[in-house]
Amino acid sequence: MSVTAIIFLTFVGLLIVGAPITLSLGAAAMGGMIFSGKPLEGLVEIAYTSVNSFPIMALPAFILSGALMESAGISRRLVAVAEAMAGPFTGGMAASTILSCLFFGAISGSGPATTAAVGMLMIPAMVRHGYNKGYAGAVTSSSGGLGVVIPPSIPMVIYGVAASQSIADLFIAGFIPGIMLAVGLMAMNYLRSRQKKYEGDGKELSVRSVMTTMKEGFWALLTPVIILGGIYTGFFTPTEAAIVSIFYTLFVGIFIYKEIELKGAMKALESTTWITGRVLIIMFTALAFGQLLTINKIPDLIAAGLLNLTDNLYMIWALIIFFLLFMGMFMETLATIMLVTPVLLPVMISLGVDPIHFGVVLVCCCEIGFATPPLGENMFIASGVARATLEDISLNALPFVFVSVLVVFLIAYFPGLTLWLPEFLNSIFG
Amino acid sequence: MRAKTTLKILDNLESYLCQILLVFFVCLLFLQIVLRIVFSAIDQLSHYISFLEHYPLPASIPWGEELSRFAFVWFVFLGATYAARLAAHNRVTFQFKLFPKIVGDISTLLSDLVWIVFNCVIVYYSINVIKEGFEFPEYSPTLDWIMAYIFMIFPIAFSLMTIRIIQVNIMKHILKIEIADVDKVDTGNLDDEGSESEVTS
Repeated sequence: MSVTAIIFLTFVGLLIVGAPITLSLGAAAMGGMIFSGKPLEGLVEIAYTSVNSFPIMALPAFILSGALMESAGISRRLVAVAEAMAGPFTGGMAASTILSCLFFGAISGSGPATTAAVGMLMIPAMVRHGYNKGYAGAVTSSSGGLGVVIPPSIPMVIYGVAASQSIADLFIAGFIPGIMLAVGLMAMNYLRSRQKKYEGDGKELSVRSVMTTMKEGFWALLTPVIILGGIYTGFFTPTEAAIVSIFYTLFVGIFIYKEIELKGAMKALESTTWITGRVLIIMFTALAFGQLLTINKIPDLIAAGLLNLTDNLYMIWALIIFFLLFMGMFMETLATIMLVTPVLLPVMISLGVDPIHFGVVLVCCCEIGFATPPLGENMFIASGVARATLEDISLNALPFVFVSVLVVFLIAYFPGLTLWLPEFLNSIFG
Repeated sequence: MRAKTTLKILDNLESYLCQILLVFFVCLLFLQIVLRIVFSAIDQLSHYISFLEHYPLPASIPWGEELSRFAFVWFVFLGATYAARLAAHNRVTFQFKLFPKIVGDISTLLSDLVWIVFNCVIVYYSINVIKEGFEFPEYSPTLDWIMAYIFMIFPIAFSLMTIRIIQVNIMKHILKIEIADVDKVDTGNLDDEGSESEVTS
């Protein structure tokens, strides 16, 4: 039996018996190292180098600031702005939900966090306005994924570290694809709402109500400007921007909105500890796993296999997107990124694909994975909030998944959509 | 009563340590950013005010980044231990729905045994690495610390994790305590109070 067989069998076997993903990767790497006679001290070195990195520190900082924004009253005000803007149209409440997720995505780097923050406010509101529970849940879980495509984004931080790419560039590149996904979801919502006769919220669209909510939400709306402006102008690194946003949120929560409570802040700290712990220990075992695969030339084998199948880049993109969507159905998002990057990125680079472009497509595919069963983190949250069954939500989410996949293909086939903005901004500030 | 408090502290030990480390490195990094801005402002001013030129300033705290990274490494592995206590490590479990509950229980128990073995191997080899690290010391660039001290987190975290895995299994199978699913979101604003909340990326 070859090393490769040992690695994959251990990995898949452990996953099937319900071992934690971390362990499945780690034990597979350990088995492979023992089998090929490598000293296991190397594993300890990898444990250290995997997390001893300044860019990854953006991850706990973004998780913490996102958790704090909830109790600081920032999320609530962003939702109010979205509601004033999109509420009056056909399917208006659902459109507001999508728009809220778009806004919230610009301050939070997490899909489930976006779903939870927006869903808690919007799902009950939608149900009150006569929306079907499953539809309300489906809209929220599908658009919650915008949180990871619209910068800042935790999966992009992980990809940037795993692929040694500029996280700031990735953040810029995600901007247009994120807007495109939102537009796609909005269009699908409009069609479905017309069919289902979901009307607007009855209020009239007025510049005045939009201005009032914007004035009230001024400090909340300033958050993305500080985070993203700081990163794009090169004034802050992504990690620093995340740290600054923590203190900004605290400042707004304590002195301006005066809503933050010690209990909420402590809860945010506590949840940040274990969430970071369980995600970044996967970083360690995934890195060990990935290195072993690279040593055994697995990426080369996969590249050869792919090219054997077809040498048409469009076909290869299609294969890869379907593969990623499939992975995304079963695997945890960050684990998918850590696992797939060392294997597929070299293949794509050899085909002339820009690593930033590949990263954005990868993150978009993961975004869809949030809303597809059996393991769709956003769906679990949405079904909890909406009290709708997973089946009901999945069924209602199908059109949204379909339109998202369509947009992902556009993004993959037209690299300019992702690469134009970073190049443009770099030519100004660089 | 005192025994109860001690038990509670012991039960959440890693969580407390982690929170302290988190607050520490977040504040340290913030201080770094503030100092960087202040120092560069003073540096700009020194072109105009001549006496400032005699006191050249560093870019920020020179060892700040390194110290925060070390705190972060400890934070991550202690956090992973706390996640083990909460039974929060992600597993793929939907396949168990096809079988009676006992199948899932036994197979998770078996996988936890593999986990314990894995942790023990890591503890053993990390102690080797540390021993070697003291014999042929390697120093960190700015703080000049012996790196082996930083590596001590590995035997500590992975042994604690083993204890937590055993604790969780005892709670689940012998004491029959229901372990709350930490990924369930609090739906407090609807009709009932949900369980623990929180969400990942």
